[in-house]
Amino acid sequence: MSIKIWAFSESPSVANEVASAASGLAALAGGGFVVVGLDDSAPLLAGDEKLVLRADTLLSASPEAAANTLAAAAREANPDIILVGSTRDGKEIASRLAVKLGRPCTSEVFGVSLGNGTLQGKRNIFAGKLIAELSIPLPCVVALKVGTNPALPASAAKASEKLAGTVASKTRLVEKREKQKGTVDLRGAKLIVSAGRGIKKKEDLGLVSDLATALGGAVGCSRPLSSDMGWLPEEHHIGLTGVTVHPDLYIAVGISGQLQHVAGVKDSKVIAAVNTDKSAPIFEASDYGVVGDLYAVLPAMLREIRARHH
Amino acid sequence: MKIAVCVKHAVDETELKVDSGGNPQLKGAPTKMSTFDKNAVEEALRLKAAHQGEVVILTVGTPEAKKTMKEALAMGADRGVLVSADPMAMDTRRTSELLAAALKKGGPYDMILCSEGSSDMYSGLVPPMLGELLGLPYVGYVKKVDVSGQSAKVERALEDSVEVVEAPLPIVVSVVSEINEPRYPTLIQIMQAGKKPVEDLTPEALLPGAGPPVPLVKGMKAQAMARKRVVFEGPPEETAKKLIDALAAEGVLPR
Repeated sequence: MSIKIWAFSESPSVANEVASAASGLAALAGGGFVVVGLDDSAPLLAGDEKLVLRADTLLSASPEAAANTLAAAAREANPDIILVGSTRDGKEIASRLAVKLGRPCTSEVFGVSLGNGTLQGKRNIFAGKLIAELSIPLPCVVALKVGTNPALPASAAKASEKLAGTVASKTRLVEKREKQKGTVDLRGAKLIVSAGRGIKKKEDLGLVSDLATALGGAVGCSRPLSSDMGWLPEEHHIGLTGVTVHPDLYIAVGISGQLQHVAGVKDSKVIAAVNTDKSAPIFEASDYGVVGDLYAVLPAMLREIRARHH
Repeated sequence: MKIAVCVKHAVDETELKVDSGGNPQLKGAPTKMSTFDKNAVEEALRLKAAHQGEVVILTVGTPEAKKTMKEALAMGADRGVLVSADPMAMDTRRTSELLAAALKKGGPYDMILCSEGSSDMYSGLVPPMLGELLGLPYVGYVKKVDVSGQSAKVERALEDSVEVVEAPLPIVVSVVSEINEPRYPTLIQIMQAGKKPVEDLTPEALLPGAGPPVPLVKGMKAQAMARKRVVFEGPPEETAKKLIDALAAEGVLPR
């Protein structure tokens, strides 16, 4: 089967993951793939072939402008599969492409392969309680789940350029405020200690951050702490509607383990939990658990860790 | 302002049972209004309180979706539109086409609100598809909405940044759950909700000549949760040591 595959993401950190999935599909189909980028966004690193779309508009400033440009180029090249990343903007771009090109589309897809003339893959549904098996007829647009493909090493294929002309957007970007880097970078963290409702007051978060610091990890939280209590900024929120993480070690402290939280951590290598309630669902989702009061267990953990380093 | 809110009636993921073979028991499973849709309804009601007007609830669903419709009406929406079709039997594009056709039929609306994604599928595709299908400005993942005159200024929460975006009305907006705290209807509101008008529409009337929908989901299985589930109980000093020992043995602690 000869199929044409495009890989695109507006996010530099996701673009190589999408290229990686495209590379896997191209190998199955016995062909190559094209990495597509916008001239004002990230440089194209990986790919058998590279295509840069240019316009006299700032394409990366609006998913709508990006989708318009991609759709115009896709109508000419007619790729069978357009892969994008399931970032928040990526899902908008995928949706718009699907409508513009009249193609089936789904998001948060992982484990892609080819079979019976369709793109096959999986996605988590019902907050990760179930996995759906997907069969998507070609041609299609598919947004891949972030963090499920290893980034592809950079390659030196020659890039071609294409002029897309002027692309108008119906919305106007007034201001863009970068979130504070350094305070939280959960997506790439190898070790995360997360706080939940078992923490009784904001000052007690120090217990959790002390443990994270001692282990060289980052601090996360369940939704109530960032949303209802406002004790941590929303970028610390781990879960279905927050950040999805995949550290080597995830320690859930005072987190009951609602499905929507677990959905964001289940790709962790090892999960540990501290909770007073023996029947809390977090223990079902954990490798190791301690039933006990976090106010006693966390200081004991800190003492144990410090004792080992002396 | 005339505001439309698109909601979904969904199986309650927390109550969904799975049999010993890993097959979900979807038939007869408890259902609810998709969790985050309540935030979209709430935002519409707040906008109505500030700018006057009307809030209309739209849904594509089976007859059971009347439960979700009634809940949204009890929260304070004025009337509803129910498109009779099963969203589980179609892809998101068809669902979006049905909603877009229903929105055109009952419109024009000044604002069309959705949540960022449904609590069952969580695709997040329907809201931008509506913007595209209706040819309207669309802004997604919004945590703050300000309407003044004929334009909206919104804040959207992205992974690494917050964007402030302006667009003229009418506009399609998807909201994140951080935007507000949904209200609970009072007993009187719940009793009165049944009297509010709900228009019934069919896919045949909205999309005449459309072919059969093509669902992309071929099967569903329980997620294998291959966790060790070792639990330590006892005095904190002992359990803390056991936990640290176990994590060190896994090789996931810094050396």
